[in-house]
Amino acid sequence: MEIKDPKKNVMTRRAFLRSASIGAGAAVLAACAGSPATPTSGPAATLVPPTTAPTLAPVVQQATTVPAPTTAPAPTTTAETTTINGIALPADAGPPEQQVFVRYFDNTATFTSVDFMVTVYEGGGNAFRDLLSDSLVRLDKNFEVQPGAALSWISNPEATEWTFKLDPNLMWSDGTPVTADDYVATFQYSGSPEAAWDFAWYYSAPGAIVNWDDAVAGTKPVTDIGVKADGPNTLIITTATPAPFLPAKLVYSATLQAAALKANGPRYNNKVETSVSSGPYLLKEWSIGEKLVWEANPDYKGTNKPYIQKVINIGAKAETFFAGYQAGEVDQVNGEYLSTADNDIIASDADLSKQVRLTAQDFRTDYLFFDTKTAPFDDIKVRQAFGHIVDRDTIIQSIVTPTQGIPAYSFLMPGFPGSNSEGLKDIQGYDPEKARALLAEAGFEGGAGFPKIELWLRNEPPVRQAVAQAIAATIKQELGIEVEVSNKEFKTFMEALNAKPTQVQFGMVSYGIDYLDPSNMLGVWLGTGRHNWQNATFDEMVLKASELLDATERFTMFQDAEKLLVEEAPAVWVYHRTVADVMKPYMAGAALEKNKGGFSGLQWPGFSAYSTAPANLYINDTVGELREQPPE
Amino acid sequence: MIAYLIKRLLGLGFVFFLVSIVAFLLMHSIPGGPFDEAQMPLPAAAKANILRKFGLDKPLHEQYLIYMGNVVRGDFGISFASPSETVAEVIGRTWPVSIALGGITAVIALGIGMLAGILAAVRRNSWIDYLVTFLATAGLTIPNFVIALWLILVFAVQLKVLPIGGWGDDWRQLIMPVIALGLGPMGIAARYTRSSLADTMTADYIRTARAKGLSESMVVMRHAIKNALIPVITVLGPMVPNLITGTIFVETMFRVPGLGKYFVTSVLDRDYPMIMAVILLVAVLWGLVYLITDMLYTVLDPRIKLA
Repeated sequence: MEIKDPKKNVMTRRAFLRSASIGAGAAVLAACAGSPATPTSGPAATLVPPTTAPTLAPVVQQATTVPAPTTAPAPTTTAETTTINGIALPADAGPPEQQVFVRYFDNTATFTSVDFMVTVYEGGGNAFRDLLSDSLVRLDKNFEVQPGAALSWISNPEATEWTFKLDPNLMWSDGTPVTADDYVATFQYSGSPEAAWDFAWYYSAPGAIVNWDDAVAGTKPVTDIGVKADGPNTLIITTATPAPFLPAKLVYSATLQAAALKANGPRYNNKVETSVSSGPYLLKEWSIGEKLVWEANPDYKGTNKPYIQKVINIGAKAETFFAGYQAGEVDQVNGEYLSTADNDIIASDADLSKQVRLTAQDFRTDYLFFDTKTAPFDDIKVRQAFGHIVDRDTIIQSIVTPTQGIPAYSFLMPGFPGSNSEGLKDIQGYDPEKARALLAEAGFEGGAGFPKIELWLRNEPPVRQAVAQAIAATIKQELGIEVEVSNKEFKTFMEALNAKPTQVQFGMVSYGIDYLDPSNMLGVWLGTGRHNWQNATFDEMVLKASELLDATERFTMFQDAEKLLVEEAPAVWVYHRTVADVMKPYMAGAALEKNKGGFSGLQWPGFSAYSTAPANLYINDTVGELREQPPE
Repeated sequence: MIAYLIKRLLGLGFVFFLVSIVAFLLMHSIPGGPFDEAQMPLPAAAKANILRKFGLDKPLHEQYLIYMGNVVRGDFGISFASPSETVAEVIGRTWPVSIALGGITAVIALGIGMLAGILAAVRRNSWIDYLVTFLATAGLTIPNFVIALWLILVFAVQLKVLPIGGWGDDWRQLIMPVIALGLGPMGIAARYTRSSLADTMTADYIRTARAKGLSESMVVMRHAIKNALIPVITVLGPMVPNLITGTIFVETMFRVPGLGKYFVTSVLDRDYPMIMAVILLVAVLWGLVYLITDMLYTVLDPRIKLA
């Protein structure tokens, strides 16, 4: 193993990254301590915000080596119970042929690739993907950064040049080794203007890869980006500004094979014949819209060797997911696909209630937003008035249901690094009296003279349409302002939102993390982001904090920026989504033991090479009671 | 007859051309495009590049002419939402499935519907008539997504006697989609057949036929049905292209990998090549079905001449 000299500044940064993640997990733990595990006994996701504002953990001093992958402890085994990769199945595991994990994907969702570096938003709804190679790092269930394809990494003191040592054992299924050139070719593809990668903004500021923006825009050759190979097993990534969070950001870096990319184009994994894998699984079948079948890769040499030997994805309509789960066809349904009626059935059924598993999902927050450049929302008092009119507690209790969300008074969810939910709670607290006073100060006493407004939604399901209707009704009742809720089709909404100037005067939308750092979430509100609000102080604080190496100083600045955001009220925060999945009782493993936050579901980023879940999830020996034959 | 056919086919070509223009203009007039950002803005240069790659930066009339030029050569382009296949391949993969499901449904639903309509007409105001009327009304008024969900919950989840969905592995997979897809057309077939036959049965020539001493079954089968079928065919004919091009809800609910969903998802995705292909396909099918319907009239009633 590598590398680390604990006296150098870099270790502090490495440690900082770990500590930030640990802090996040710890905060989730603190937030959720004592919350019940099932929804029948009341609000399961009572993510009580931490009592102290910052979710900072002290910098770990002794992190001189990269942590070992969090594979489950070696269980008692017999010779018969090993996987195709020679991994011993846990003592209570079902037979190898029953190590099959089945899930649905939405057969109406656009699904054009199984590789993140090709497309993110056309990845099928709830599909298994990103299983064909390892990303440089992966996350465990506590959101801690773990080695992936990179066994270790180090940066220069400025945190602008990062050297990743790749696992030399990794092999492609065609017998060739995985090299740093594969990663270089992948980043060069995703950063090319021809690819127009739908996630291209991700490797921009903060912590932009050197020349990334120019390459994406086509003003510099893509070969100039700051992703270089230094020999077969060393990858060097340089950033334009200090990026202490870069390893966390590189969760999304599962490589394509350079040779296949060149020979068959970026979608070589769309066909079994041209698919090639260095990851834990091989693609065995992809019938478009119908089915994906993945089998454990017998030649996988990485550190995420799976217990589950076959992964099956069946294309189905989202409305039938829960029925299929009840019929025993699938092993898990993500809570995002459960309707209010489904949740009612679950809550009233003792067996199903025990199958509920909570996750923080992607720390997603739903919020109202305004076009702050035009009247009437160019007046901060109007925006603040709207902030005091949302009765979050009632909305959660009577519409969202307490297993599926908690009230939001600020952007960063409790448990997220840097979250200051408790400290910011009163700024937009529910207070109709204050709201009326603010509106009167803005010249619209009792709503007089206020134009009728439209609240745009982005193709939301019934539950969030109901949330919006409830908010609209309260605004009418308390402020005397007419609000019409309009649930727009996705593309219509996004085109209007991203238009310059924006065409959405008043809307409701959500945002979840891409990587676990406030620079990501708060980045949405930068002047270059998607909302029509610009504040130079906010931008400066977020960008500066992103680059800071001192954790305390960094998170304090992020918190100041978020406070400014909440006070200026370009948005009104409504609720943070917690997600209650259902999962069959025979699903087991360390991935499903409670994490530091007390959550026992399959945590973000789910069952993929981006997480340690493949090495920590199996089917136990009770499977025969519910599933006589392994699914085909 | 040949001259008539040529005239009709030329007319069909004109309709095809008109439909292509209207569809092209409509699809480009709706907000949003195929490569719009899903979340965060892309750099303008990257977006411009992708638009250039697919020829979407050109003026609309140029795009239209290029597209139609390709169509004439049999090239319908590549689906934006399924970029590893051509549009022709997507249709080739999915349409046969919809034809199979729709064809089976058409035969069963229209067959049973017409038979039930005949029974109801012959036994007017009997319990059979009331039963058929009730079932036909139910089939017409209950939306197929309600029927689909109900069937799944009862037969797949509770009773576990039918597979929840799928295609091609087990003949029982056909049962629920055929019912969900067929109840509506069956209801329409039953209602129209009953009403048309009931009218016919009061005609003078039927009375004459009875007076000749023909049995009731001969009266119905030989004299009444043929005439009663003309209005029925007018209504049922156009149902066939609807059935064999699939419906998004039934197909996606029962996981039938047919063409139906593309009528909706292509619009949501702004998948221009796919939108054009399915619209043109339907235009041609409808044109042909009306032509066939007109020709069937001459078979059923020799007094009708096509010219």
